[in-house]
Amino acid sequence: MLSRVADSLYWMSRNIERAENNARVLGVQLIQMLEASSEESLTNYDWETVIEVCGSLEEYNHLYEKLTINNIIDYLAFSESNQSSVLNCVKFARENARITRDIIPGDLFEVWNDLFLESTNMYIPEGSLKEVHGFLKRVKLASLTSQGVIESSMSRGVPYRFIKIAKWLERGEKTARILNVLSEKSNDDRERADGTNYYYWRSALQLLNGYDEYLKKYPPRMNEKDVLTFLISDYAFPRSIQYCMDHVREAIIALEGGKVSHYSWRMYAALDRLMAEFDEDKIRSLSVHEFSSFLDDFQDRCNDISQVFSQTYYLIEPAHVP
Amino acid sequence: MFKPYQTDLFFDEMLQQSGSTKTHYQAFHNMMNQFSAEELREKHETAQLSFLRQGITFTVYNDNVGTERTMPFDFIPIIVPPDAWEMIEKGMIQRAEALNMFLEDIYKDQAILNDGIIPRELVEQNPNYFHKQVGGAEIPLNNHIFLAGIDLIRDQEGTYRVLEDNLRNPSGMSYVYQNRYVMRQVYPEFFNRHSIHSLEHQLSNMQEALLSHVPKNCSSKKRAVLLTPGMYNSAYYDHVFLAQQMGIELVEGRDLQVRNGVVYMKTIRGMQRVDIIYRRIDDEYLDPDAFNPDSALGVKGLLEAYRKGNVAILNGIGNGVADDKAMYAYVPEMIRYYLKEEPLIPNVDTYFMRNKEEREWALERLDELVVKNVGASGGYDMLIGPHASAEEIAVFKEKIEENPSQYIAQPTIQLSRAPVFQEGDFYPCHVDLRVFVMRGEKTHVLPGGLSRVALKKGSLVVNSSQGGGGKDTWVLKGGDS
Repeated sequence: MLSRVADSLYWMSRNIERAENNARVLGVQLIQMLEASSEESLTNYDWETVIEVCGSLEEYNHLYEKLTINNIIDYLAFSESNQSSVLNCVKFARENARITRDIIPGDLFEVWNDLFLESTNMYIPEGSLKEVHGFLKRVKLASLTSQGVIESSMSRGVPYRFIKIAKWLERGEKTARILNVLSEKSNDDRERADGTNYYYWRSALQLLNGYDEYLKKYPPRMNEKDVLTFLISDYAFPRSIQYCMDHVREAIIALEGGKVSHYSWRMYAALDRLMAEFDEDKIRSLSVHEFSSFLDDFQDRCNDISQVFSQTYYLIEPAHVP
Repeated sequence: MFKPYQTDLFFDEMLQQSGSTKTHYQAFHNMMNQFSAEELREKHETAQLSFLRQGITFTVYNDNVGTERTMPFDFIPIIVPPDAWEMIEKGMIQRAEALNMFLEDIYKDQAILNDGIIPRELVEQNPNYFHKQVGGAEIPLNNHIFLAGIDLIRDQEGTYRVLEDNLRNPSGMSYVYQNRYVMRQVYPEFFNRHSIHSLEHQLSNMQEALLSHVPKNCSSKKRAVLLTPGMYNSAYYDHVFLAQQMGIELVEGRDLQVRNGVVYMKTIRGMQRVDIIYRRIDDEYLDPDAFNPDSALGVKGLLEAYRKGNVAILNGIGNGVADDKAMYAYVPEMIRYYLKEEPLIPNVDTYFMRNKEEREWALERLDELVVKNVGASGGYDMLIGPHASAEEIAVFKEKIEENPSQYIAQPTIQLSRAPVFQEGDFYPCHVDLRVFVMRGEKTHVLPGGLSRVALKKGSLVVNSSQGGGGKDTWVLKGGDS
């Protein structure tokens, strides 16, 4: 397969996943906002968290004067300046799908083409939460539909593997990012009022769509260690970092027919380095302060893997004649 | 439901002068009358939406801003009876064959110029004659024309005439398929009573024709690719469709690299050799070494690989000399010269403004003529005399006097019409037909082709960039009436 096409499949898939994740995070937060009611400072904190998870607070402050709900919705859902706004993700997903439409199932292109056409023609009056929710829901459904199309109609060949690798990498990184941002917030908060930080861990579960699954496995009283173990190293929860990276590895092995070649060993080495960190006992033994640096490390390694991966398949650098 | 209209002086595809329906449209007409206007309108909307949803769009540029648009679709097909089609098919094969012999000749022996059939300067001063680049090159099958799109019109008497040859990068084949697809989805009822030629096997014919262009030095894989300028090109959907249907990789210039005269494409497993390139990039942008040095679309060194016989490039380089509006007038001569046959499908009479006599004659009656720039296409830089204002005519008079070789004039043909149904209303519109000829070891003509229709009432311009639409084209099987 052409490197350029592989690159487009990769970014199509990452943007599909990112669109869904960011839509969910924003959706969850908009609902929580209604529950959190009076405590103004806490809600501000929450919004900063969400901005950090789905974009960048620095960029936000540069673009807007105030932290208002309408500004935040604009930034996270619709802004053209925010590379990861939901609408931009939809646009990038569709654009990359258009480049690769001779490779992907027709239905997959149509899902994103439809959503794109609909979203570029939509008008959402400022402050209309109902319509914002409607849009976010459409995005989530598009992502779920396209996963169904991919699983049910694509041959398990090279394009399929590229799509999967990108998806799991994006998802694993997002989980790490959410945990990282929340653990920092939780540390800050610990110094103010002891005991309120469980709030953050519940929030982490909700943002990652893991609250229900968590409750099936652990008691409803939030224990920080339990939540982190669940979201980092649970082997069965499909958003835990462990699960995502297992699947990245699995897809790479399938892509390479189980072989390690001269051009691919660096990728395996980077993966192995990363996987070595995911020992449940080790994670349980970490102090809360150590978590942040553990998660920082992890995010760095994820970046390494994305880079090594791109180099291995010439996604970035021009290829050379053998 | 359908009310016959006045056919006036025009030849009508469906109606007789008297207003009654021609026999080969009878079954269709009867079926159409079973639908209410409301039902037809609903179907029309479904059809139009389906093009948009599938992303079957072309891009129109206005002040550098591209907008994706669908080609308006009209459900009333152009129906071609078997005997008419048989003649068209033969005529197209004949014409494409003569044009190919012409190209082969002028890039090698130039017999037709030496024999004085065609004025030498018309060829040698043609901006699309690339003798320096490809003169004398040996190419697979000696075939310069892999895919031709030949535009036909019908005059007042219903005689088919060739309006234009497109031998460079004719587009629109995907629309033929999508028009048929949408027609079958949205108007399945209409197919019940007709036995029409299917389009299904034609793409495998096309793929075989493509792969039969084996370059002198070919790798064992015989790998073919379609070279596109990219998704911002107005015909990108066409490229996607053809690459997909022929099962070949859709590549851009930046995916290819020439090393030691061999073409490679950059894949995730390193460089892979490419043997056959069906390119949809114009000559001038193909190779910055040989043509426009600023081209970012092309591939450095491609021409060298071509000349060495290491890669086949389709359509051939330098075809533009044969399909411009000046050379058009000589195609009947080419047919007589190379094939010793009479043209089966005539041209539209053409007057050269470069010839003093013809020019003077034409300048007297510009209000009756159509004037075209020999280098332009897409309906641009064109004067339609009977519809033009006095100022417009004056402008063209000046243009012609200033640069006579650049213009030709033709009598205004009363383009044939066919009924359309748009916005709840039936009315007649001018139509033309682009016929696709696929040449390789064997030659095939796509049954039917792309019927284009000038949907604006009274308009003569069928180009999609200027408000033209498409219709499905049915070629009836023999024995059916």
